[in-house]
Amino acid sequence: MTTTPETPVLAIDNYSLDYDTASGVFHALRNIDLAVHRGEILGLVGESGSGKTSLAWSIMRYLPKNAREPGGRILLSGENLLEKTDAQIEAFRGRRISMVFQDPSTSLNPTLSLGTQLAEVLVRHRGLTRQQAWKEGEAMLDRVGLKTPAAMMNRMPHEASGGEKQRVVIASAFACNPECIIFDEPTTALDVITSCQILDLFVELQAETGVASLYISHDLALVSRTASRVAVIRRGEIVEQGAVRDIFARPQQDYTRELIAAVPDPAHRLVGDRVFETGKPLVRIENVSVHYGRRPFLAAITGRKAERVAGNNAISLSINPGEVLGVVGESGSGKSTLAKAMTGLNRFEGRIWFDGREIRNVGDMDNAYRKDVQIIFQHPDASLNPRQKISEILSRPLKLFGDASHLDQKVGDMLEQVRLPRTHAQRYPHQLSGGEKQRVAIARAFASKPKLVICDEITSALDVSVQASVVQLLLELQKTSGASYLFITHDLNLIRQIAHRIAVMYRGNLVEIAPAADIDSPDRAEYTRRLIEAVPRPAGQYL
Amino acid sequence: MTDFVKRLLRTPQGAIGVFLVLLVLVVVLLGPMLAPYDPETLSPLARYKGPSPAYWLGTDQYGRDIFSRLLIGARATVVMAVLATIAGTLIGAFIGTTSAFLGGRADELIMRTIDAVMSIPSLLFALLVVNLLGSSTVNALIAVAIAFAPGMARITRSVALSVRKQDYVNAAVARGESSGYIILREMLPNVIAPIIVEMTIRVSFAVMLFATLSFLGLGAQPPAAEWGLMVSEARRYMHLSAGILIWPSVAIAIVAVGFNLLGDGLRDALNPRT
Repeated sequence: MTTTPETPVLAIDNYSLDYDTASGVFHALRNIDLAVHRGEILGLVGESGSGKTSLAWSIMRYLPKNAREPGGRILLSGENLLEKTDAQIEAFRGRRISMVFQDPSTSLNPTLSLGTQLAEVLVRHRGLTRQQAWKEGEAMLDRVGLKTPAAMMNRMPHEASGGEKQRVVIASAFACNPECIIFDEPTTALDVITSCQILDLFVELQAETGVASLYISHDLALVSRTASRVAVIRRGEIVEQGAVRDIFARPQQDYTRELIAAVPDPAHRLVGDRVFETGKPLVRIENVSVHYGRRPFLAAITGRKAERVAGNNAISLSINPGEVLGVVGESGSGKSTLAKAMTGLNRFEGRIWFDGREIRNVGDMDNAYRKDVQIIFQHPDASLNPRQKISEILSRPLKLFGDASHLDQKVGDMLEQVRLPRTHAQRYPHQLSGGEKQRVAIARAFASKPKLVICDEITSALDVSVQASVVQLLLELQKTSGASYLFITHDLNLIRQIAHRIAVMYRGNLVEIAPAADIDSPDRAEYTRRLIEAVPRPAGQYL
Repeated sequence: MTDFVKRLLRTPQGAIGVFLVLLVLVVVLLGPMLAPYDPETLSPLARYKGPSPAYWLGTDQYGRDIFSRLLIGARATVVMAVLATIAGTLIGAFIGTTSAFLGGRADELIMRTIDAVMSIPSLLFALLVVNLLGSSTVNALIAVAIAFAPGMARITRSVALSVRKQDYVNAAVARGESSGYIILREMLPNVIAPIIVEMTIRVSFAVMLFATLSFLGLGAQPPAAEWGLMVSEARRYMHLSAGILIWPSVAIAIVAVGFNLLGDGLRDALNPRT
């Protein structure tokens, strides 16, 4: 496939892209050279901010006003897209080149039915009448594996699941048999099992139509599963490109090597498999249930039963001192709900025993409990107040739980503990990178010397290489402090590296708890086995 | 900061708004020094004069110089309007943020009360308060502040609701922070931008509301040089010299338009994405 004589469908030739910003020119892309041939999948891998999405938009010719293109060409079957007028580009989009976005819930119009949106593409680009387009749309939905295409056409986006919506988006991208399709992280917003199915569908459709695909992702393992060639992009420059096997087996560049090494590999355990005495657990959760929604006022006075949404159904588990308990499950499985119940953010029914004390409701969580149980959230952008300096953010737990003397000194020590320079205390959160912000959030959680730290998807918003260093920091902190972790994640490969035991959750229920080493044994629950199967294998295993 | 000013001045409404508001500020600060005449000196021989080199904007029914009266009256009119708006905004912002933070039934109770208060037109409400407290400048200020608070509360709440869902507020709750700290230190600083925009727009309403109160005889009392009062007094002599009525009205309009445009400009400058 590397020596195809024909002209490539999509060729990017020495292309550069700059953005004019208030603080000068920002070079988003520099001298990009890429080619995608017919029937080929080219994976484009890079961390956030590396320019992957900018490249996608410049191919689609949809750039913001402050974009400048100092040089290069983008050729679609030999025609230079940079020289086309807006009208010509409009005719190209959808018909000859189309795009699948990351989040199907935002790429579909919530006020139009799925059928209308799909038929619109066909009417616009293939000149069909409404009725023809509707018929054709049903056929398309059937092709992307939706079970009831006729009913699905009439549904609104909110009546379909994330996986179904992404199938509709894929159907509309393939609708006009384009020459080239750009996939911008099409499975990032989906659950493990669903994204596995979407990937299978993608590979199948790709083989069937022979379309040239540019598959953009931050996930090396995912790309190695679909693509035949991979290009690694970093800060707007292609670091390395080649066949998947070559890149993974013999990476030429340090950066590629780092990227591959940073991908979590369950075979490579980061904690000891020491067995914990179960005599006296630190936390014991007994039949904890969480219900969402408020009882309507009228129902309350008439005594009518109101239907409530269950976030957690009678969860029981325990965490031993010094243990890392992993919690995995799809989105909506109640992982975060449990974390919020344990930190007093959700009302719960049932009992929590913490360190021998009984907690029956939020009111029982006094200062001592809150000091011992800390939570770190998923998005450091959201969990640090943008209007407060790092010093203020870090000094709050000290004021609340400890003594507030020598604050500056202590804040500096906390920053050093998480490998940040002391001078960061004077900065605002937006002046730090994502990884640095998450380190500040970790420092804040450890300020009160807690016994239990709840990590709610804390690495999922970070890049692979940053994730690896944050996880390492957490494990080091655990060694020095002896705290227990409740580590919530959807990344099975990661949790198999660091957890002692893994709890699997599904739709608010606890499926099972198993030692991390036994999670892939065949006598696990059926759901656990499906989950393990769907997880992309770590990059190293594709060789 | 300089970046922010640049963005503000780039839009026409921002630039004109800044210019007009600066002009008003200069008059407020330096008015008494610039005024060529004593605003309360009567000169029976020079009544109802049109604009002339001696009296730039003419004289009123007692022969007082209108230009000097406008310069001196700016303080009473504009400062009062700004103070009343700030007071109303602070009350409203606090109520709105608290309501959003508490949520549930408390939120419902506060907001429905606010709705009930808002159903009374603000002028009528201000009249009611002034009638209850007696007519004076300070009472007029209180009346306008109270009349503005519900609207500000509603706007603040809608912004604060999205802030309430942010994890830094959750983190503060999980940490066991007091409600007061969360509302004042975690939430309020993050809802301030839209509040400032709304506040500048409301200053112009306040100027007009004050003018209306004075016009009805419930705000400043004669012989004060308050602009609304000047219009009110000029009404009877309108047919003798239109200038007495026109110039204070123009001054009120300039302040109102200036703050309105500044508010529009600020809205664009504070949300660079839109």
